[in-house]
Formats: sequence, structure tokens, C-alpha cells
Amino acid sequence: MVRKDLSITFMGVKFPNPFCLSSSPVGNCYDMCAKAYESGWGGVVFKTIGPKHYLIDEVSPRFDALTKEAEPFVGFKNMEQIAEHSLEENLADLRRLKKNYPSQVLIASIMGSNEEDWEVLAKLVTEAGADMIELNFSCPQMTSHAMGSDVGSNPELCRKYCAAVRRSTKLPFMAKMTPNITDMCDPAIASLEGGADGISAINTIKSIINVDLDKKVGLPIIDGKSAISGYSGKAVKPVALRFIQQMRNHPKLKDAEISGIGGIETWEDAAEFILLGCKNLQVTTGIMQYGYRIVEDMKRGLEHYMDEQGVDCLEDLVGLANKNLIPAEELNRDYIVYPEIDTNKCIGCGRCVISCYDGAHQAMEWNKETRRPNCNHDKCVGCLLCGLVCPVGAIKPGERVLKANRKPRNLAKLVLQDSIEKL
Amino acid sequence: MSKCYQDEYEAGYTPRLVMEEASRCLLCLDAPCSSSCPAGTDPAKFIRSVRFKNFKGAAETVRINNVLGAICARVCPTERYCQQGCSRSGIDKPIDIGRIQRYITDFEEATKMDILEVEKPNGKKVAVIGSGPAGLTSAAYLAQKGYAVTIYEKDAKAGGYLRNGIPEYRLPNAVVDKEINRIVKLGVDINLNTRVGEDVKLADLKKENDAVIVAIGASKGKSFEMFEHNRKVKIAVDFLKQVKARKGNVKLPKNVLVIGGGDVAMDVVTTLKLLGVENVSDVVYEEFKEFRASKKELQSAQEQGVSIIDGYAPVSCRGGTVKFKHRVIPADLKIKADLIILAIGQVTDPAGIDLEFERGEVKSKSYRVGESNVFYAGDIAHGEKTVVYAVRTGKEAAISVDKYLGGK
Repeated sequence: MVRKDLSITFMGVKFPNPFCLSSSPVGNCYDMCAKAYESGWGGVVFKTIGPKHYLIDEVSPRFDALTKEAEPFVGFKNMEQIAEHSLEENLADLRRLKKNYPSQVLIASIMGSNEEDWEVLAKLVTEAGADMIELNFSCPQMTSHAMGSDVGSNPELCRKYCAAVRRSTKLPFMAKMTPNITDMCDPAIASLEGGADGISAINTIKSIINVDLDKKVGLPIIDGKSAISGYSGKAVKPVALRFIQQMRNHPKLKDAEISGIGGIETWEDAAEFILLGCKNLQVTTGIMQYGYRIVEDMKRGLEHYMDEQGVDCLEDLVGLANKNLIPAEELNRDYIVYPEIDTNKCIGCGRCVISCYDGAHQAMEWNKETRRPNCNHDKCVGCLLCGLVCPVGAIKPGERVLKANRKPRNLAKLVLQDSIEKL
Repeated sequence: MSKCYQDEYEAGYTPRLVMEEASRCLLCLDAPCSSSCPAGTDPAKFIRSVRFKNFKGAAETVRINNVLGAICARVCPTERYCQQGCSRSGIDKPIDIGRIQRYITDFEEATKMDILEVEKPNGKKVAVIGSGPAGLTSAAYLAQKGYAVTIYEKDAKAGGYLRNGIPEYRLPNAVVDKEINRIVKLGVDINLNTRVGEDVKLADLKKENDAVIVAIGASKGKSFEMFEHNRKVKIAVDFLKQVKARKGNVKLPKNVLVIGGGDVAMDVVTTLKLLGVENVSDVVYEEFKEFRASKKELQSAQEQGVSIIDGYAPVSCRGGTVKFKHRVIPADLKIKADLIILAIGQVTDPAGIDLEFERGEVKSKSYRVGESNVFYAGDIAHGEKTVVYAVRTGKEAAISVDKYLGGK
């Protein structure tokens, strides 16, 4: 039976596996974190601890889900802020977790409203036994503008608060970035310059995901009103991957240690974050929907992936995809890939014809008698929308043809995207 | 679409369909499916693995828990076990667990996964009598624990009822072969054409081995006196064995009467239809409400156009004519057929194996016979007479043997 070592060192700390709870409702107390460790999570980012003077007062209800057709949880909206337990309780929980689970990694997430807060909190969680710290610069639903994503979109504040934390702890720490910004590289660089050892990304995206059509209020409804708050789950994965790639692509961040966050539910999601340069992974929404148990399949699936890839060390996979993401202007635009229709698989639904006509280039023709499509190469531009909408996977990338007047490169070496073959 | 005997009756899932079915699973808290699988295959875990794209992990769960996973996936009457308590029934209908399991084991085969591992030899020897599901399971379990296991099988090929009894359209012999190959790869020796009692003596096996597991099944079909010495009468299990061995190449008449209402009877009537017999009548002692056959087998029989008449007991037989009386209402039935097939149950044929039986089951409370080194499993053990139950008793008997021989 295949067995692989999933351990990986991130910011100088060895994790038994890269999977961690992210700072959120899923790591709100000792019992939750203990259960997560027992379920096999490599680490826990304990729910963000705030300064003593900042009192948490939560709304009810506080979540909503975006659905699509029969899929109940495409994306998730969360209005909960940072830990609502007292500072003393949280520190006691940290101490107890470290005592009872010494081999798994304990990360304290903290958030202050000024330099003094950050210094004090960093000192307290260091004393409580945390292995590393995450600075929450990015919660989009804080009731204070001195805290949360307003800080994370201001590079100077990031730099200043990182420096404050650096002054009061020797522990490695990472700065958690907000995606509610055009360029994440600026605050990330400022954080590293301020003394951070790594970056975690992304926190949630500011959102309104549903509006009640009768009451004319966004969801969830709190006494007749709602507010913009953080969006997470599978739907945000592409956004997270994009920010991570942009950071890895920046000369000042190319070797940055990154903890990836955003819609991770399966080992495939995890592998994508690793291939784009993450050495650590954090999860919340998947757990909120399915429970801590999802780590079992993520770990086992990742072990099998390592086996298939022929690597014994997870680190060997980190960042392998970064170099294959290049600026759009550098892509090879010399050829067209025509769709190849497997007539044995085709069931004659005609969805490819509809999408090609209404969404592409009217190349897919329909034989009314046989109820089967046929691609007219004179019109086809090779966008392969047809393959994406085919419900039975009958359309795949087929013949590759050079555009007129292009010099042939070595076509045999061209690598085709095969994402449409996934299911 | 017309079906044929040599092809699997039910099509397997495509990757998209297995994901759709796994997505119907509610991933519920206490997973009644897992607690009600006699073999402990743990559907909740493997369905969740499918849901989260960990197909290889799913295959590991199935194979480690149930060494005949690909077989059970096809033949298990899941509506009586894992699917019975399915939480999804609160919305519409249970998850098709058998079919998901089949996808997983087909995937395991297609990707040539090698899951089971063998501990280093412990120097102890165990003989297993019979290579049906119980014998194979106990042999596989003990081989993994490091025992030197030898199976003694009276037939020319291993598999017992899996090979001989369950029709090709439900369980292709190719699948049986692959499952047995996996077990042989664990180091299990299979001595074919060896009947214990004739070719080897049980007493010798007891002496030469540290333990013996008797898993001889119930392979002999029952008959009633009124059907004796009648050339038009055949026994269901003999008929099924012949058809499967000849890959469906048998000559059959136009009108066939089948008597019996269990899964074996359903296998016979569906086989007859798939082989082109025009008129197949099945007379069943039980009324529909007390039917013993699994829903799936009953459904395929009905799809194939078998006439099923319930509530009648046979009273006499002369040549090809059988008279029945209804068990409750005053009603008579007379059917004339070219061939009569009896599917009224099976019994154990313990020839040469000196054990004390009571209603077909060994008279003993544990899996061990008295204070001897003889153990037993399968149809001759207490419990239901299904493949999945044979896997369970095979596993449990093997655990008893391991404990008896000092295993941890």
C-alpha cells in the first residue's frame, strides 16, 4: 500500500502535514481544536485573539450560502468577527492545546488596533506556547476600521504592525492578506519588510451573496438589515490562486513562504495551492459544511498524488506550476485546436451547438436526422467551449493546426490543457 | 435494449455518474449504512472519499474491509443491509451503494492498485475447506496475518457458489477470477479437485495444520419426493452451474416452470429469459408481501417478462405437469411445462466431514468446534445465507483462529 510522508517545514516549523484550520469559527475553543488534531489536522490557527479592550458582540444569524442549481454551497458568507471568548480563556486554551498536542502545530492568530495591542498580544501568545503567529490584517467584517481588512489594504500599517510584533516575539509569524485590494504584493512586501516570515492568503472577499426579493434585504437578515461581509468557499479558490501566483511571480516575493487559503475541500484543491507555491494550507468553509473529517481524504489523496508524481517529499511539489503561468501576451497564439467529437459517447443533447452558436462562433452544426453535432472548421476558432458544456465528455481537444502564415514551431512539444477531461 | 446472459445486467457508473450519486449522499452523522454492513465494508467512508475525489482511498477502504469487495458490490442485496437505514430516504431514495462500490473496485482494477499487504510469515499453518466467499475471506485474512494457508476445493475451479451459482449477468466469472487472484497473490495455496473426506481426510488436515476452517457451504439443492426420478425436473443450483460453465450455451425448451421465490429462483427465471426461453412461469410458495428474493432480482425477473404466481404450494407432479393449491384461498393451479426447475433451497453436503449439524448449521456457539482446532464459517455458520454474511463469518472465524493461535 502506498504511504508517503506529508510532513513539511513552513517558516522553520515542521508540520506533520500541511493541513491547518484557518482562523475562524472552526477553531474557536479548546475542544474544537483538540478534535481537529485528533482528526489528523497538522496544525490549527486558533481563532483570532483581539485586544482586551475590544469587545465582541455578534449578530444573529450570521451566515448565508450561495447555491447553484442542486449544489447547496458554492460559496459562503460569514459575518462573524474574531474570538468572542475572553483573552484569558483564549490564552488558557492555547496553553492546554500545546500541552496536550505537542507534536502538532499551534498557530495563534492575533489582531490589534494599534502598535501597543500588537506587541502585547504577540507577547501573550508567545508565552502561552504558540509555535507561530498569524497577524490578521484582513477580516472584512470588523466593526472597527482600525482593525481588519482596512489595515491589510494599507501597506504602511502592515509594515508598522509587523515591526511591532517583531519587537515582542522571536516566534515566526505570517501576515494574513486581504483579497479586497488590487495588488496584494504591496502589503505582502511591506509585511515582510516589517519583519514577517511569511504570508497567508487569502482572507474572505467582501460580498453580498443573496438579496431577499420580498423584503429587499441582503442575506442574512438582521433585524431587517444586512451588511457586506466575507465570502469564502469553493467559489473563491480561483481568486486565491491568482493572488498567490502574483506574489510568487514578484521578484521580492518569489521565495516567500506562503500559507494558502481559499476554498480548499479536496486533495486536488490542496495540490493546486502547493503547485502554486504554498507550503502550508488552511481550511474553514469545507469544515463548516462537512466537518474536520474532510482532512482524511485530503491527506490520503495527496499521498497518492505524491506517489503518482514520483516524489517522496511534499516540498518537491511546491511551486512547480508557477513558471507555467505567464503573461497573456507571451502565450503561443500560432495555432488552433479543433474539437474532436467522440460519436460513440455523444448522446445527441445538442448543448455544444447551443453554446457554440450563442456563446462562440457558430461552428458547431446540427444534423437534425441523426441528432448529432459536427464541427465546421471554417468557422471554428478552437475555443473549446463545446467541450466544457458537453455532459458526457464526448468532446476533447483534437487536431492542432497552424494559423495561416505562422511559422511552424515544434507542434509535437505543445502541451494541451486537459481541464475539460476532468469529469 | 435487449440484455444477454453473458453481459452484466446493470451498467457501471461513469465518473460523472458516480460523483452525482456520491453527491446525493448526505454524509450523515451516524451513517446507518456503515453500521449495517455485515462485512464492515464502511460505505460512509468510501462514499465520502468518492465525494472528495479520493478514489484510491475509497478503493483502499473497500478492499481492506472486504476482500471480496468487487463481488459484494455486484451481488449484495443492499436494500436489506447498508441501504436500509439510509438517511437520504428521508428526501427520496437511498444511495445506490452497491453501484458506487462497483465503480470503486472497477477503478481499483483499472489502475492496477495493489492494496493488501502480508505480514511476515508466523510459521503457522491453516487449512480452509471450501473456496466460496467464506473460505476465500478467511484465507485472505489469515494470509495477511502471516499464516501459511491452503484451501481445499472439490471442484476444478475455485469460487464455490460465486463461480457456480450466481449467473454471469450478475457476477461475471472474470470478476471472480480477479478477486481470487488477489487472494492467491497474498500467498494462499488452492488445491483444486480435492474433496475432503475422499482425497484427504479431515483428521489428517487437523494433524498437519495448526487449525482448520470448514467453509463447505450449502451447495446441494433440495427436492420434494413428488419430483424424484422425474427426467423433466432439474435442480436450480445444478442448472445455474451448467449454464455458467457453458457460458450460456445450453439448449432449452419453450415452456419452463420454476418453483421457488428466493434469489436463486430469481436467478433461474431471469437466466431462462436472457437465454431466450419464451414462457417462464414461476410459482412461489410465499405471497408477494413475504417474498424472500431481493428487490433488484425480483425487478429484473419482472422486467424480463417472467410470470410470477404467488401463494401456491405444489401438491403433485406427473411428467411435466405440476398441480398446485393456494395456501389460503380455495384455488387450484395446473401447469404443464417442458422443463421444471426446483429452486426451493439448498442444504449442506457434509460427506466426509464429521461435524454435528442442526438445521444446516454447525451445533456450536462460537466459530470453533468444541475444544478442537476445527473452526467453521459461511452458510454452515449461524446467520443469514448471503455472500456478504459469508464474508462476515469468514472474517470472524479467521479472527477466532488467529486468537486461538496466539495472534495479537
